[in-house]
Amino acid sequence: MWSQLNSGAGYWNVFIWIIFFAGISCFVVWIRSFGRMDYKRNTDQDEIYWEGNEVPDDGASISVPASSSYWGFRVAMEPLYRLLDKFHSGSGSDYAGYFVVTVALVGLLILIGGK
Amino acid sequence: MNIRDHLPAFLVMLPLLGAFLTPAVGSLGKVIRNGFYILFSFLTLLTSLSIGCAVFWGNPMVYVMGGDSFALTLPSGMSYPVRILFEIDAFGALFAICIAIASFAGALFSIAYMDKFSGWKKYLALYFMLTAGALGMCATGDLFNFFVFVEISSIASFGLVAFWRDKPEAIEASFKYMLVSQIAAMLLLIGIGSLYGKYNSVTMAALSSMMRDGYLERVVIALIFCVLAFKCGAFPMHTWMPDAYAEAPTGVTCLLVTVSQASFYGLIRVCYSIFPRIATGGVVGWVLIVIGCMSMFFGVMMAVVQHEIKRLMGYHSISQVGYMLLALGVGLVALGDQKDMIDYGYTAMKGGLFHAANYSIYKALLFLCAGSLYYATGTRNLDKMGGLARNMPWTTGMFVIAAAAISGLPPFNGFVSKWMIYESSFAIHPILPAIAMVTSVLTLASFAKVFQAAFLGPAKADFVAVREAPGFMLAGMAVLTVATLLLTLFPSWFTSNIFEKAAVALADNAAYVRAVMGGI
Repeated sequence: MWSQLNSGAGYWNVFIWIIFFAGISCFVVWIRSFGRMDYKRNTDQDEIYWEGNEVPDDGASISVPASSSYWGFRVAMEPLYRLLDKFHSGSGSDYAGYFVVTVALVGLLILIGGK
Repeated sequence: MNIRDHLPAFLVMLPLLGAFLTPAVGSLGKVIRNGFYILFSFLTLLTSLSIGCAVFWGNPMVYVMGGDSFALTLPSGMSYPVRILFEIDAFGALFAICIAIASFAGALFSIAYMDKFSGWKKYLALYFMLTAGALGMCATGDLFNFFVFVEISSIASFGLVAFWRDKPEAIEASFKYMLVSQIAAMLLLIGIGSLYGKYNSVTMAALSSMMRDGYLERVVIALIFCVLAFKCGAFPMHTWMPDAYAEAPTGVTCLLVTVSQASFYGLIRVCYSIFPRIATGGVVGWVLIVIGCMSMFFGVMMAVVQHEIKRLMGYHSISQVGYMLLALGVGLVALGDQKDMIDYGYTAMKGGLFHAANYSIYKALLFLCAGSLYYATGTRNLDKMGGLARNMPWTTGMFVIAAAAISGLPPFNGFVSKWMIYESSFAIHPILPAIAMVTSVLTLASFAKVFQAAFLGPAKADFVAVREAPGFMLAGMAVLTVATLLLTLFPSWFTSNIFEKAAVALADNAAYVRAVMGGI
């Protein structure tokens, strides 16, 4: 039950990783213990620093929306995404067409393909 | 007569009974209705686990309906079975357990999630029908019955996807799924009918023992292959999946994930057990590999740019199915050669089956987390969410576990199954694990986006008063979280006791045939 998992070329032991993460966690706690606890509460010292600007009350105005994430990746892959968007047309007859064409292609491959 | 012998019948009978009793029990009040829902789902789970225990540490279970004896597969004087027959080996039991776990978790979740909606009787009846259909697909040893169970699960899913009839998107998603599904169902029936016309039998084991390599058989395997690949969401026939998963009530989406796995089960059963003479070591394995790679890559590429949480997860489902198709395709290519099987074939099959179990559990959990967010905020749009970790700590914790697992981060279970798939597919061609790894990186990127957008950052003004999901919803999610953690902590035990036995059962076609046909 506790033994390692062998694949033939390597092995996996989850407990080595758990011990590794426990070690890293101890290290993080140790680093954190260097932090100063003598700051003055409810003063500017415990305010969020936001590039010297006042932090808005509504988080919506300072968070990055999900649709803006990986903007660069999306722009770089624009030609592929244009194709994929066209493919996902939302039309039921297109989807039925993709299915029929795939059946024909796979059928042809299996018919002419040898063992 | 031992009650254990009847477990295969109970597996399908319990949810079917639940479906037919629903109209009566649904009128007896909320507490009785909820108790009934949980009880029947739990009994179904217990039955599947009992079958698992019997099969993983024993022999395949065979059950004949309507005969002189439930164990009499070949009546005297007959050379092939003539009655409705269930056959559950380790491969089938693995999928039955995954379906039953997701059904139970979805039931717990739905009790709170659907509480404020009407139409409970319809919901419950369709939910049990869907469970029965999916379990029947994994239990039956008869191709025509397989078709019947596919149709039961399809009809139930059309109704459940369109459950919120006031939403045009839900009706549209259901209609599109129904349109292509019905074309697929006709082709499946034509395929099965052709086999019956030629071989006089629809029993899978009998067909397997008689099957020859010919033009008709090749056309039939192509038809059945494509129908089941479509049902499990493989590229380029996946287009129904993101819509249907997004619009169905979340408890149903959790179950739909495993219903697609039942189709995956059917696809693999057909290739390995019914048509091994055609599929082994030939072009069918390569078609599986190519479709698997395309599903992985294009699924995740579409997922990365989504900002509607359930659609994003729907596209990820396509990508995850790709891993399984790749692994079982590699196994199929190796199957004809004993050396290749020992070198990498069994590792690929074990990895693929491990990944199928992982996917059923953590993907169902991710959908429940998405449902929990929708329940609390009233939106599925990630652009509008933010800072919810403070208000929903349990949902956040369980989401992190599931997201880390699906992204293949060590030490979670997703890493182990992906590692086995990378290693075995490398033996076929180095490009295959490279595509799988790129997919895994993009999976991590998209779940990092979901985590950042929904849970981190400052609280949005609209969601300051948001509360954690109700207890029943958390209980449903907790069932799947515990299952994920068990698969994470004991991969060695699960591999040697379940996935290896399932892989061996799948590869040993002779044992599958022998269980029904005896010495023939």
